Amino acid sequence: MKTLRTLLTLGAGLAAATLAGCGGHGAGAQAGAANATPAQIARGKYLATAADCVACHTAQGGAPFAGGVPLKTDFGTIHGTNITPDPDTGIGRWSSDEFYTALTAGKAPRGHLYPAMPYTSYRAMPRADSDAIYAYLMHVPAVRQANVENDLHFPYNLRFGLTFWNMLFLKDSLPASSKGQSAEWRQGRYLTSVLGHCYECHTPRGKLGQLDLDRPLAGFALTRWYSSDITPAGLAARGWTAPDLQAFLKTGVAPQGSAFGDMYEVVHLSTRHLQDADLKAMTTYLLGEPAAAPAQARPVAVAAADQGRVEAGRRMYLNVCAGCHAVDGAGRPHTAVAMRGNTSVREANAHNLIVSILDGLPEQKLGGLENMQPMPGFAQRMNDADVAALVNYLRVTWGGLPADVTPDRVAALRHP
Amino acid sequence: MTITTRPLALTINGKAFGPVDVPEGLMMLDFLHEYAGLTGSRFGCGIGVCHACVVILDGEHGSEEVRACITGAHFFNGRRIRTVEGHATYDDQGNVVSVSPIQQKFLEHYSFQCGYCTPGFVNGATVLVERLKRAPVARDQVEATIATALDPHICRCTGYVRYYEAVKDVVLATPGCVKGGA
Repeated sequence: MKTLRTLLTLGAGLAAATLAGCGGHGAGAQAGAANATPAQIARGKYLATAADCVACHTAQGGAPFAGGVPLKTDFGTIHGTNITPDPDTGIGRWSSDEFYTALTAGKAPRGHLYPAMPYTSYRAMPRADSDAIYAYLMHVPAVRQANVENDLHFPYNLRFGLTFWNMLFLKDSLPASSKGQSAEWRQGRYLTSVLGHCYECHTPRGKLGQLDLDRPLAGFALTRWYSSDITPAGLAARGWTAPDLQAFLKTGVAPQGSAFGDMYEVVHLSTRHLQDADLKAMTTYLLGEPAAAPAQARPVAVAAADQGRVEAGRRMYLNVCAGCHAVDGAGRPHTAVAMRGNTSVREANAHNLIVSILDGLPEQKLGGLENMQPMPGFAQRMNDADVAALVNYLRVTWGGLPADVTPDRVAALRHP
Repeated sequence: MTITTRPLALTINGKAFGPVDVPEGLMMLDFLHEYAGLTGSRFGCGIGVCHACVVILDGEHGSEEVRACITGAHFFNGRRIRTVEGHATYDDQGNVVSVSPIQQKFLEHYSFQCGYCTPGFVNGATVLVERLKRAPVARDQVEATIATALDPHICRCTGYVRYYEAVKDVVLATPGCVKGGA
């Protein structure tokens, strides 16, 4: 069922593909947009940034919002669509009503969107915000660029199944992941669960690709990376505080580590552009009211039977990790993150720790002095037992976690 | 704070060295400087980016570059390495008799000025030539192959062209590096 799940989730971006070339729809659709005030357009731009539309709708090196971003899935490749106001290849003929319906119900003029387009999250967006985003998009330069045909395998290329999927799984609102009452918490909830669509990656999914709404933001591996448990309990267990979380969303760097993988894109394209008050609201929501006290990671006693393997892991750390991450795990400022207090080391699910060791990480330019240097991957140099030993050393030393990662777990995460 | 040491023995430039007791977590570059008396390898960025510190690791599948500034000394226990001091031939008094083809061409092309990056370039270019002997490339791929192989090595004086031209001379003059001959 993994395939179906991936399809349904990643396929959403491609849903927008149908949007293109819907000639004949909504004649004079831009009439509403033409009346938009500069303030409304500016607000729409900000909302579009908070909703991270460019992540799927702007290709690397391509024109803004002209589509073409490939999303590779097990079921084929789908492509983000052209949402510029070009009448033939973009959404220029759409009315604001149609835009609102696409955003909140997953229905475009020409048919269903796949839930890779996060209408499951945008569902709760007020009409005024949808209209503001619409006004903004109708004022970006129109780009004539045909959408790339999706390349989905049968039966995932059939959209009619989405009718039933939506009946079952499209809810009017997503459950809160924390407790809170204040206006700031409510604003944070909107930014996190609706605009930012954080739930789409961070919430576990069921066999039909639906969000497991009993466990909002409890962590899930939708892509090559594991989107961390960002419930209040999960964040507190890894030592996150409100100021650290806010710094992370603003700069991509915090004492707990730097943004990498999918989250690097999120920070780069979206959260770093948000106002401080909004970022603070998001941290208030994520940590809840009152925020749980951050936990300290304490070294874990290693069972006698495991000591040899953990010692082997320690020696590997000194040989090939400590040069950048330091013997004492303190890392190097602006260059290599600390292992001591690191959020991935402290995450009970060792997925990201294993994958980063196997694959390595590209350089991450995070602005200012913060240039995390590339990390080499060790998939070719370390066998499964070596990686498990290294991961277990990190977990017991700085993670406050048991040495329970097995070579089989590593093998399962090796790049296919 | 006590420093824990562990014995380390390896082969450097064809000669056995050690075992000597070396602190855990000591980086290879510091070991070469402080224990082996080989000060030719350079400490540049210290974070594995500039490649001035590169030494050659000789393994069963041939030679490869390893950054000595970020690799622990004990990683090399029982292994064979070459440093920049290992390329020339010397007489009994330790005077240089001849330099390697790469070194010679670097001199002829005036490839370096300040010379800080040169030990890394000598080792990196040597590894490249040895790799091409095992897996030659077509003549029209030579320039691109050199550029790709030496791209990680950073030089701030000469702009790389003289380094790359020198390496190309060696590649074209060394039998077996180019498919069908140069």
